[in-house]
Amino acid sequence: MLKPKQMSRLLIAASRDQMAPVITELYRHNLFHIEEFVDQGQEGYEGFKIGTPLPGASEKSTDLIKVRAITNAIAVRGDDIDSVKTCQRAELKSKIERELPALERDVEDLTVRRSKLDTKLKEYEQKIVEITPFASVPVDLDLYHGYTRFTAFAGYVPHEITLSVPNEMFFSKGKEKNFLVVIVQTEQRGEVERTLQEAGFQSVTIPDETGSPQSRIDYYSGQIASLTKEIAEINGKLAGVRQKHAEFLAACEEFLKSEVEQTEAPLRFATTKQTFVAEGWVPSDKVEEVSNSLVQATGGKIYVTVLPTDYEHDAVPVEYNNPDFAKPAQMLMDVYSRPKYTEVDPTLMLAIVFPIFFGLILGDVGYGLLLLIMCFGLRKMMKGEDGQMFLKVLRNASIMSIIFGLLFSEFLGFSLPWAPIIFSRHLLIGGGGGHGPAIPALMIMSIWIGILHITLGRVLGMYNHAKQDHGIHRTKAVVANFGWLAVMWGILIAIWSNVAMPYMFNLTHLPVVALGFNVGTFVGGALILIGVICIAWDSVLEVIELPTIISHVLSYARLVAVGLSSVAIAMVVNYMAIGMFIKPQLANLTIVGVFIILVGVIIFLLGHTLNLALGILGGGLHSIRLHYVEFFTKFYKGGGKKYIPFGMKRKFTED
Amino acid sequence: MAAEVVAIAATDLATIQASQMGMKAIGAGLAVGLTGIGTGVAEMGIGAAAVGAIAENKDFFGLGLLFTVIPETIVIFGLVVGLLLLF
Repeated sequence: MLKPKQMSRLLIAASRDQMAPVITELYRHNLFHIEEFVDQGQEGYEGFKIGTPLPGASEKSTDLIKVRAITNAIAVRGDDIDSVKTCQRAELKSKIERELPALERDVEDLTVRRSKLDTKLKEYEQKIVEITPFASVPVDLDLYHGYTRFTAFAGYVPHEITLSVPNEMFFSKGKEKNFLVVIVQTEQRGEVERTLQEAGFQSVTIPDETGSPQSRIDYYSGQIASLTKEIAEINGKLAGVRQKHAEFLAACEEFLKSEVEQTEAPLRFATTKQTFVAEGWVPSDKVEEVSNSLVQATGGKIYVTVLPTDYEHDAVPVEYNNPDFAKPAQMLMDVYSRPKYTEVDPTLMLAIVFPIFFGLILGDVGYGLLLLIMCFGLRKMMKGEDGQMFLKVLRNASIMSIIFGLLFSEFLGFSLPWAPIIFSRHLLIGGGGGHGPAIPALMIMSIWIGILHITLGRVLGMYNHAKQDHGIHRTKAVVANFGWLAVMWGILIAIWSNVAMPYMFNLTHLPVVALGFNVGTFVGGALILIGVICIAWDSVLEVIELPTIISHVLSYARLVAVGLSSVAIAMVVNYMAIGMFIKPQLANLTIVGVFIILVGVIIFLLGHTLNLALGILGGGLHSIRLHYVEFFTKFYKGGGKKYIPFGMKRKFTED
Repeated sequence: MAAEVVAIAATDLATIQASQMGMKAIGAGLAVGLTGIGTGVAEMGIGAAAVGAIAENKDFFGLGLLFTVIPETIVIFGLVVGLLLLF
């Protein structure tokens, strides 16, 4: 919690003949993050070389490529398939040998045939396009060529033309372009060409066909129809293959991928002629488990040890360590950046505060319920892990939205049968009664949230710097963070001492000391001064960033502002749909009235759909932005390396 | 005579109050509208650059989004001012 999983650096050394069992064992555990060996003469690795793949690597990768070619051709994706039963690996292996080549041949046959038919289809379509203009000329296509003394021209002209030489011409007026066919004596060809060019003639090729144009078009259309039918047949066959073998193919892919990864693992190890060395990271609590099973698998012919680690300079892979409910928020963390191994992991705080912010913005029982239903509906459709995590984040957010909706007493912009329990956000739209929204109170609540959130961020900043930095730099960084806090609280104390505000401390009654200002003002002023000095000690340039203290705190006002705008839209939609369209008609129902009521219902549905979409976007984006921009910038650096253990989560296969 | 003066004064007062309310509404509208334009102009460049960067490297999405929404604060301030003016 608040820290990534503790990692230990493991060194494995054994003779080369133990390589295969070691790799299998590591792969099975799915815990060992391999630190890749790079042949650049590191200390202690003189004379080591990058290993060579285990035997059978190239056959297996060829097989994998085959399987992927098939799955691409018939659009099978492992993510989209719910595994019904898992295959035994040994069984699968023999099945691959038996069935894969035949299956590959079938699928390849079908796809090759399909692409041939596709080419033909395109060719025929092109022919139809070429012949179509000639259909308006009552001449068979074979009459256009085969002459020695005559030349035929065909093409489009902007307007009708006359030629000065003897000719045979057909002109057909079109909507946009006029089609012209003209046959002249070959010796006058040059002159005709010139005249045509002046008239803006665009030539088209004369198709090399016989018979009347219409009959040719009919012929090709018939061909296209039969080709389309054939293609559909092939597609049907491919779909059949897909239905029959999808799970087998997904299992094949998984099996071969794991085999290829294992056989190619030595490429990441350091080897000599007789031995190999693998370094990597394992979660500290699993070290025992991994090393014991390695010893067992090799019959004790292995050396496994935990290396001393320099956590600051080694690039330690980072694996989150969060309670289950906070896990979905890891996705939001990864969007920003994975934490470094040494810094505080704010996932837990994000997991708690993000839904609260979302609820504060979109606090509406109706929208919350709709979102919740949407989450459960989409769960079946989104298969990927990221998608699932996102839905869980959204689910938590919508639950908070319902809770805040109950507190704010809001349901699709209507009020629930009780008065708002915390602050009222009901606007006076459509002449409703009530007190209107408690804007000042809401604002001050959001400012308080900002002050506390930012204070927490700065305190974490101090902690992070104290933990990560050294020497004078560490002191300076910690002091600077304190300085930012001092300035913020100094400004607050100075304001409290001079202005009385609801829901804030009132220090105006403190004794006046000098110049008409009371003690609090001077304490605040002193804090600001100390703070500025602290900040300047670390970096003078940072002083120009001072206004961000105010802008960042005020930025939390968006919790109220964005929320109120969504309430306003909901109420306006209700007023328009019900107040303006439905209610007046219901009082005196006519045929036209029913139609107008329908319009009102449509406005109601469309308006709330739009507002819900805006609410998700606004609520989600603004809540996450408050974390990314206002909170994380105070302490969080990120840029940690992702922990990718050697192995895979099996879905379709088992040992 | 006196009653007439009082009546005129009352109508004047009502007119003044109404026009004050109108001015407030105009002010609130200007606050939201102008800050909205400001945010839009500011996000235009950042957004275009961010989309370009994301096209090159998808990992940039989070950071790109962050940079893009930074000027959002401006319109929020406008909205806050507008709300404070009206209520």
